[in-house]
Amino acid sequence: MRARYSLYLFTVPALLVIGLFFVHPIILTFDMSLTNFAGIGEAKDVGWRNYERIFGRDRYLREIWLTLWYTVIVVSALTVTGLFFAAMLHRLPLIRNFSRAALYTPAMMSFVVVGYVWQFLYSPLNGGINVALRDLGLGAWEQNWLGDPAIALYSVAFTQIWMFTGFTCAIFLAGFAGIPEEIGEAGRLEGATSWQRFRYLELPLLGPSITVSVMLTTIGTLKTFELPFILTKGGPDGATRLLSIDIIDNLFGQYKFGFASALSIVMLVIVLIVAFIQNKVLRDREQA
Amino acid sequence: MSLSETATAHSATSLDWDLIRRRGKSVFAHGIVLGLVGVMLLPLIYMVMMSFKTSTEIAQDPLGLPNTLYWGNYMEALASMGYVRSVINSMGITVSVILVVVFAGAMAAYPLARLENRISRVIVMVMALGLATPNFVTITPIYVIFRDLGLLDSYLGIVLAFAALKLPLAVFFYTSFIAAIPIELEEAARLDNCNNWQVFWHVIRPLLAPVTATLSLFVMIMVWNDFIYPLLLLTDKDKLTVMIAVYKFVGNTGIDPTKLFPAAVLGSIPLLIMFAVFQRKIMAGATAGAVK
Repeated sequence: MRARYSLYLFTVPALLVIGLFFVHPIILTFDMSLTNFAGIGEAKDVGWRNYERIFGRDRYLREIWLTLWYTVIVVSALTVTGLFFAAMLHRLPLIRNFSRAALYTPAMMSFVVVGYVWQFLYSPLNGGINVALRDLGLGAWEQNWLGDPAIALYSVAFTQIWMFTGFTCAIFLAGFAGIPEEIGEAGRLEGATSWQRFRYLELPLLGPSITVSVMLTTIGTLKTFELPFILTKGGPDGATRLLSIDIIDNLFGQYKFGFASALSIVMLVIVLIVAFIQNKVLRDREQA
Repeated sequence: MSLSETATAHSATSLDWDLIRRRGKSVFAHGIVLGLVGVMLLPLIYMVMMSFKTSTEIAQDPLGLPNTLYWGNYMEALASMGYVRSVINSMGITVSVILVVVFAGAMAAYPLARLENRISRVIVMVMALGLATPNFVTITPIYVIFRDLGLLDSYLGIVLAFAALKLPLAVFFYTSFIAAIPIELEEAARLDNCNNWQVFWHVIRPLLAPVTATLSLFVMIMVWNDFIYPLLLLTDKDKLTVMIAVYKFVGNTGIDPTKLFPAAVLGSIPLLIMFAVFQRKIMAGATAGAVK
């Protein structure tokens, strides 16, 4: 048995790297979150005051809600768009592989590039979207997409949905591929329409794919930072000020390392709670 | 014409109609879906188109096709964004991260796949925590640690930081893969008095090539596109990665389209070429989790 345990020596390099640059930093983040550390000089112990400030002010509670709301929008939309394209492409083998790769292409690109391109698409004067609307005779629909606090968050979300539709579509296509041929065949013989086959035969069998897709996109979306950072910097008027934006702003805009650390810990706890609840709910439903 | 013949002829034509209707519906469905896929690609087409337009063209006809393939924007971007240098930097960092992640990840996965006990479960839990943690949660202390160790602005520092970020993924990839390797293969080697390392190196390692390829592609995509780490950990102009070069070049000009679009294309093109070449592998890896 001793020889078996010596096998754990193999984990040493990985644990060393993860310990030094992941576990240790997380502990340090927590330590710093109890201080007013400002990057240089003495860090004074302030106890739980940073946390009291976060949960005592509407501003930060609002950012937490905004982050969760943004995630709900993006994840729901990605599930629907991914399912839609996957269901269609599952029925159209001729164009399936090409379309799957084409839809996935934006997910291969950097948030920086996607952010800049969409910033220009959204720009109020000569931006692609407003010009296209004007050319189509829909000038009345023109908007200041990123400048209007009422719609800025949805514009950012739309970009993220565009970027990752190919990702959820690919997951669902893999799920469709796992459904036995006979099931669709049986439905067709019974005279079920395409929608009925999707709704009553395929959708119930896609449970595991939906679980995977929702969990991956939720974690990914909760972590969103780059897109709003490039597109709006949290503006206008705080409309897209997600928790992550505030963390980086406190950190490298104002050098409030202590407070930024407290925000980071709150963020981490939220991610873990959401992941845990989702895992529980979705797995239970799958088994039911 | 007898009655029965008429009936047959009638049913034949109605069958044809049915076929035509079905064909028509199929062509229609293909057209609609291809059209929608095309709409999804419009921002990319727009990006490439804009990169070839002069500023006058952009002002006068913001959505039109470029009159000529104007390469001037690219010339200017190449001349002043430090592109070639940044590509070399990104490639160097990417390759180093892949080496660390593949080596340390495959090694760590071996005991985790073979021993089921509390130690394995704890290690797997730390890895899962690593997967879920947003990287801006650890960036503050990493910045402080690097500053104190003199690792700011060094390749070694950023490679290790990236490796810590991507190792959990590598460990999960390899653990599920090694768990599927029949234990009998190892037992034969053990009978020949091979020690743990020899078994790992001569029996397990040679079987890992396919999963290593997929993993490397994933690490490459993430490292190439990542923005926060290099933005905060590298400041030396000569050490910038591609995405930081794009960010600085575009950000410094107050969003000038003749700079933005060529920089966007240049920043994306290396990975898009990789995607075109390794499309199957990347798609298979992306959906690996969905097929259980």
